[in-house]
Amino acid sequence: MKKSPAKTTLLILFFIGAAVVTLLPLALLFVASLRPGQELMRNGLNFNIDWKNANLDEYRYLFSGNNAYFTWYINSLIVTVVQVGLALILSSFVGYGFAMYEFKGKNLSFMLVLLVMMVPTEVIILPLYRLIIRLGLINTKAGIIVPYVVIPMLIFFFRQYLSGIPKDFVDAGRVDGCSEYGIYTRIMLPLMKPAFAAMGIYEGMASWNNFFWPMIVINQNSKITLPVGLQSLLSPYGNNYDILIAGSCFAIIPILLLFVMFQRYFIEGMTAGGVKG
Amino acid sequence: MESKKKKRLSSRFLYSQKIAPYVFIAPFLITFVVFFAYSIVNMVVMSFQNVAGANSTFIGLQNYQKILPNAVFQKALKNSIFYTIVSCALMIPIPLVMAVMLNSRHMKGKAFFRSLLFIPALTSVVVSGVMFRLMFGELEGSFMNKLIGLFGAGPLIWLRTPVTVWIILFFLCMWRWTGVNMMYYLSGLQQIDSALYESAAIDGAGTLDTFRYITIPLLKPTTIYVLTISIFGGMAMFSESYMIFNGNKSPNNVGTTLVGMLYRMGFEQGNLGIASAIGVVFLLIVLVVNVVQLFINGTFGRKED
Amino acid sequence: MKKRLLVTLLTASLAMAAIGAVPAMASDDGSTQGTNTFVDGGTDLSFWTFQELHVAFWTTMADVWNEQNPDRPINLTVTNGESHSLHTKLLTACEAGEGTPDIADIEIGYYGSFVNKGYLIPINDAVEPYENDVVMSRVTMYGDPEGNYYGVDFHLGASVAYYNMDIMNAAGVDPADIVTWDDFIEAGKKVLEATGKPMCAVETADLFLPQMMMLELGAQYVDAEGNPNLVTDEHVQVIDKIREMIDLGICIVAPGGGFHTEEWYGFLDQDGVACVLMPLWYMGRFTDYMPDLNQKMAIYQIPVWNEGDVREVLQGGTGTSVIKGTENEQLAKDFLAFAKLSKEGCTYEWNELGFDPIRTELWDDPEITENKDNKFLAYFTTNPFDILKANGTELTAPDISGLYSTTYSTLVSTTYANAFEISIDMDAAELLQQEQDSIIF
Repeated sequence: MKKSPAKTTLLILFFIGAAVVTLLPLALLFVASLRPGQELMRNGLNFNIDWKNANLDEYRYLFSGNNAYFTWYINSLIVTVVQVGLALILSSFVGYGFAMYEFKGKNLSFMLVLLVMMVPTEVIILPLYRLIIRLGLINTKAGIIVPYVVIPMLIFFFRQYLSGIPKDFVDAGRVDGCSEYGIYTRIMLPLMKPAFAAMGIYEGMASWNNFFWPMIVINQNSKITLPVGLQSLLSPYGNNYDILIAGSCFAIIPILLLFVMFQRYFIEGMTAGGVKG
Repeated sequence: MESKKKKRLSSRFLYSQKIAPYVFIAPFLITFVVFFAYSIVNMVVMSFQNVAGANSTFIGLQNYQKILPNAVFQKALKNSIFYTIVSCALMIPIPLVMAVMLNSRHMKGKAFFRSLLFIPALTSVVVSGVMFRLMFGELEGSFMNKLIGLFGAGPLIWLRTPVTVWIILFFLCMWRWTGVNMMYYLSGLQQIDSALYESAAIDGAGTLDTFRYITIPLLKPTTIYVLTISIFGGMAMFSESYMIFNGNKSPNNVGTTLVGMLYRMGFEQGNLGIASAIGVVFLLIVLVVNVVQLFINGTFGRKED
Repeated sequence: MKKRLLVTLLTASLAMAAIGAVPAMASDDGSTQGTNTFVDGGTDLSFWTFQELHVAFWTTMADVWNEQNPDRPINLTVTNGESHSLHTKLLTACEAGEGTPDIADIEIGYYGSFVNKGYLIPINDAVEPYENDVVMSRVTMYGDPEGNYYGVDFHLGASVAYYNMDIMNAAGVDPADIVTWDDFIEAGKKVLEATGKPMCAVETADLFLPQMMMLELGAQYVDAEGNPNLVTDEHVQVIDKIREMIDLGICIVAPGGGFHTEEWYGFLDQDGVACVLMPLWYMGRFTDYMPDLNQKMAIYQIPVWNEGDVREVLQGGTGTSVIKGTENEQLAKDFLAFAKLSKEGCTYEWNELGFDPIRTELWDDPEITENKDNKFLAYFTTNPFDILKANGTELTAPDISGLYSTTYSTLVSTTYANAFEISIDMDAAELLQQEQDSIIF
């Protein structure tokens, strides 16, 4: 079958169009970050830029240390790293249990996983919040993280992924004298690298960008995470567009970095752990 | 001596092949009981109460009787359902077709476009919300008004007209999630045996036929998955509206969703009984919709493979 | 290859972020949490606010307090949080009876909930020494029908009319001649004719203009029991009046839907409208966001329904209260009253924050009223103190008791959007009844 240049051109043109639409808002934001916030308010967000007035002042202010931006940044980094790490380890652990063993109550337990997967956390946000208060975790990073250390979606994914790995590996491990947990740590963990990469990006995105729950748990400006911090700049007592716009641009970087580094594994892991017929 | 023996016994117990699976799934069961089950029970109890600290009293169905006929609640419910249905209708076919196009053997630069279209998903709802809020600003100079101005239309007050509010919310949803759903479909496509396409081509089937008779049926598991998470995301929608309107408020509640209503009653007004009743109704809807969806798609009927 | 370059660039920028973070954490400029100069043996007091500017006010006042009261020193820690979650957090902390601060700033929209549930401590005895020096309606507003007051205003102020004099001059109208709403409408017609610009704007996402007109009529949004009470003759009258102005084209819905949106700031700054009716604390928005209107804006008294009516009402505003559960009740109350009601406190508030002083003596103090260095006095072409002096201290303030918070939430989310934009042709009484029915309580 030979390739048709006409079709190729059409397809590429289509995707260039899609790419333009995709990048457009980001480009607008970036252009805005070079303009003074005042001007933005007056003229609206657009591509008109007076290069004479364009400058990096907003970034300079961002880096000057005279604001809480990097405190939020560090908070977000800590929460994301800890939460994603715990979620990957614990969820893969559970997923392994579901994939490799037959046991009493397995179907029921897995139904529970599906149940939790279907119910948005937002539904139970109110009792969950009261629980976090009772546990004394309110206004702490642990309070943000704890309800999200075992993620049903990740369990589901790891179970799918591991069910694609022949059970012979497990049996071979047992013959070699590995304990049940040794099999998991020594044999399975290395095999799950692509799955970890895929879910690391997935959960990293969710965690870095999480807004609703951290907004509820944390009330102190020095403890809030980046999305909540950026949102707080839009207060009715004076909008701080200078930090908001430049800070928004800069907020994309860590997660973009993660994605660029691991995206090869991401598609691989997604394919292997994806839903099978 | 005795304790050492006990210890060994217990560790033998923990390490036995019978017990190991329960140890493996223990983290889930613990969080399920502590966070999920506990919260749900708590919420159901509160929904029948007038919650006032230690002096809470049971008031039967009063909370439900207050919310069900309430105009704002009904509007929030309608908004959530409408958003869910339309976002499913947009976010399944479009990424599917785009994935197939991207996967076409005629296509070049697949990896590049795949990554590029994924980038919006990396931005937080706060960042994207601010961008869209400003892009669709009502000033004549804001980007969208300039754009429609080229065609002689506008300027529009985007954020205060119901129709345009929905356009913005759906555009935002598509902008952020098309790349992700496309990624799911791309990984689904990897699993389709290319021999199927080759034999179809030999039989003289056209592009549309192969799409209809091979691609779509074989991608059904992916579609079910995408549908499930789209329903999940659609019903849970709140942050987008919160950012677009800079707070849990929108003109005449055009953008108020069930979660927004729950947040308003529970957190902003401290009416925990009412908020819990909304939560229970919300929970029931989500469960019914998902169970029905899974039954229709035959997930429960199929045997585990 | 390209990818590696990208990764390198991104990593480099992250490293920059880390470097940037060091001074931010080390210097801790006091914007997120502030303390006064601690003294040995001082009593620890905690304070919550949602506004960064307030942090410096409170810590400065604590230092002044310690100078004047060496026998009762205070070590004050002010925590600044994000408004939405701070109020919800405070509400829940009060309910749990745990983790509450000694004193807190509470936004007016939320205030009723706290009074309602008995989470605040009456401060009558602490206010008493100041009673004759201050505008008491700015204290009693934060009270209940039994005569207890629970707070002092931080953000409640005299409503005034800000006129753009370029536009008014172009239309040949002197704002000083506008007394009644009918005068205002006539002037609006002239402005529209001469410049094509609207006279004023109304919000759909907030309630300042309709509330002001209601207060002039002595009407409130809640009844004597504190229940929502939207369907009143006065409310209908107010809505019809504003609608009349909208029909004539002299009043528009504010771009952005409110007076605190970026669209509105831009619109106002570009001479979009002739007049804004807002409280005096709105001066700060002009000095911050409207550089082009410097020396163009004049402050006059608001229009009223009938000649001879008091041409001032009070609107806003955040109140500050002592929270139940404090271990230092008396000290917290005394400090609160001192900071808000003393000459030192009022002077600071006026100079730094632009809030009209609650102490009447300052209205006659030339050091305050004629201060050339004051950025607010320098910006506006008329002196706001003339208005304060003209109307005295018997002023109407919003009744925020009972279910005001709940009512407020409906007013700013649906009522005024429906009344002025979406269902503009619907009968006002019918519309208000529908809104009243939608409130859950």
